[in-house]
Amino acid sequence: MPLKHPLTKFPLCWKFFVCSSVAAVCLGTARSETTVEIVHYFTVPGQIQGLQDIQKDFEAANPDIKIKFTYIPFAELLSRTLQMAAVHKPPGISCIDNPDVRHVAKSGVLQDISASVEKFPTWQDTYPGPKHAVTEGTKVYGVPIGSNSLALFYNKKMLSDAGVTDPPKTWDELKEDSGKLTKSPVYGLAISAPNDEQATWQWEPFVWTNGGSLLDLTTDPAKQALQLWVDLVKSGSVSKDCMNWSQPEEGDQFIGGQAAMMVMGPWMLGQVHKSGIDFGVAPIPVPKQGIKPVVPLGGECWCVLKGDPKVEAAAVKFIEFVQDPARLETLCNTFNYISSVRSVAVKQGQANPELQPFVLQMDTARARPEEGGANYTQVSLAARTAIQQALTGQATVDAALADAAAKIKPLAEKK
Amino acid sequence: MKQLEAARTRVSPVPPAEHRPVPRRKAAWRRGLAPYTFILPILVFTLLLLAYPMFYSLTLSFQDATVDTFVSGDMPFNGFANYQQTLSTGTFWQALVNTIVFTFCSILFQFTIGFLLALFFQNRFPLKNVLIALLLIPWIAPVLTAAYTFKGLFNEVGPVNQVAHWFGIPSLPWLALPGFALAATIVANIWIGFPFNFILLYSGVCGIPQEIYEAARIDGASYWRRVGYITLPILKPVTVAVLMLGTIYTVKVFDLVWIMTGGGPANTSHLLSTYAYQVGFSLLNFGQAAAIATVIVVLILSLNLFQLLLQRK
Repeated sequence: MPLKHPLTKFPLCWKFFVCSSVAAVCLGTARSETTVEIVHYFTVPGQIQGLQDIQKDFEAANPDIKIKFTYIPFAELLSRTLQMAAVHKPPGISCIDNPDVRHVAKSGVLQDISASVEKFPTWQDTYPGPKHAVTEGTKVYGVPIGSNSLALFYNKKMLSDAGVTDPPKTWDELKEDSGKLTKSPVYGLAISAPNDEQATWQWEPFVWTNGGSLLDLTTDPAKQALQLWVDLVKSGSVSKDCMNWSQPEEGDQFIGGQAAMMVMGPWMLGQVHKSGIDFGVAPIPVPKQGIKPVVPLGGECWCVLKGDPKVEAAAVKFIEFVQDPARLETLCNTFNYISSVRSVAVKQGQANPELQPFVLQMDTARARPEEGGANYTQVSLAARTAIQQALTGQATVDAALADAAAKIKPLAEKK
Repeated sequence: MKQLEAARTRVSPVPPAEHRPVPRRKAAWRRGLAPYTFILPILVFTLLLLAYPMFYSLTLSFQDATVDTFVSGDMPFNGFANYQQTLSTGTFWQALVNTIVFTFCSILFQFTIGFLLALFFQNRFPLKNVLIALLLIPWIAPVLTAAYTFKGLFNEVGPVNQVAHWFGIPSLPWLALPGFALAATIVANIWIGFPFNFILLYSGVCGIPQEIYEAARIDGASYWRRVGYITLPILKPVTVAVLMLGTIYTVKVFDLVWIMTGGGPANTSHLLSTYAYQVGFSLLNFGQAAAIATVIVVLILSLNLFQLLLQRK
């Protein structure tokens, strides 16, 4: 075998190197377009479809920008967003749940987009609650995709069978009607109070409507609101299992005919419709007639992350594109959300009677971080522990709330 | 003789050093290094994927790593503040006690059931292999499925309460009662884990020669005497392995409890693992979560040491 000098192999490597680098350069120049990666946790087919439709329209209108949706499980969205930012590979947009926006903004990864957002015509028309969730002083860290909140779903047939003509409007009626509607194995009312944020979220309409606050749980309004829940569970109108039901599981109870009413958000409308149940939606019952219900706001926000200025600009462009009223209405309808923009929400309510109670509640709806700001998650943790303690009977309403208030006090001051 | 020597040289796998073209010192160095190159892959793997994360987690537990400091990267060291904060929380102690109770009860029942089944399967009977395959199902089934199934079973209107009702026991909202919730997760975990104990003990039991039993039987030893003086002592090495692995598996259980109770009601059924997750990923206090994780590691190590000591005696 003739000995080959090792160097004779070089030309081949060389050729390969030249070819690949030329290819890389060519590809690089051809792709002068910007890619905006959007991380989210939406899983409902309708929501995905809505996002894809907007993506298609946007890319057609802006050929130099590409949108890339990346799904991340709900529980990991925040940590993954922070992680991506920490290794300098931030996504263009993260769809952050509204109570977390200011919490995340505190870490410094979100871009203040107030300069652009304040020029959106829809921004002036945005409800105060959703606005509050993304605003810190003069800085704006996101734009709400849409909002959701809670209302009372009721099974019309079960109500008329039990002789209840109208859905309950006050707390007294709620207790009375729930009792009437409870006939084993059917419970009068379903709520969701598991050991996570959902418990606090479902209790907030009651404590807030009564004029209470999570930051001062030792006052009467808070005690009365928790007592209402304890009474409902103790009397057997609400299943004790509510402490293990996430909201989807709670929805299953209503759809399965094991609950005559439920406290639920608009995202469940699609599923309830599909089940064929004859149902209606009413505003959250209030302590006394004449009081307006105050519900917590749900819903995610488009948040732009600090990074490549080109990507940031493209991300803002995308957000602005979505703010077109017609597009906003379609998107919110596919999401089963209420638009955070008043004129759009009013239109949605007129077209869809089941959304109307949610739309009516939007004016007084509150963003959760109004209580505790960036420390809301910890405030909520303390509050929900009190809720579960009282519901299980581990502690009295007073003791449980006093315990939680002691934990919340330093958090509120830290604000 | 000389021919033989030559032949030996020819067949010897490593030719004497003077026959090789490389200098003697280099050869010796190479020979000394060779074994290490063989373990290099596992060494790199261990350092990179096991030692580094452990070390990182340990350092994180001494840092002020929250959502505010994580991204900027300047997580200041804060001594034992994370540990102090953790140890002063009631939920932590509850979670620690829960973890110990959960582990002890799970292992006790898993092992007992597994051992009794292994004894039973020492006998010959029809459909034996089919039954063994069926018994392995809980071990094969995804924990996710098992967790949701048990959540349904322990429902207030679920099958467990219906059966209890036949015996005149009032129905209980198991997963919504402090104490009972943890008990329900233990029952579920026993169901998941006993096949693992069974199959290892069974394979150990199969390896015991029948002659020993026969000799004992001729000497007039009763069944339980044979179990106590033959089966158990011979199975000791298997038992040590089963208990050790079982402890590790059980202390780090997370998904089962997370799905069944989420640590509730009112944080009474948290294990250290679920509590660490809540602190880390819901409250975004990574430093404190790392401190709890360190406690888990220490707990696993000390439980295993304790077991080893018991076995020695």
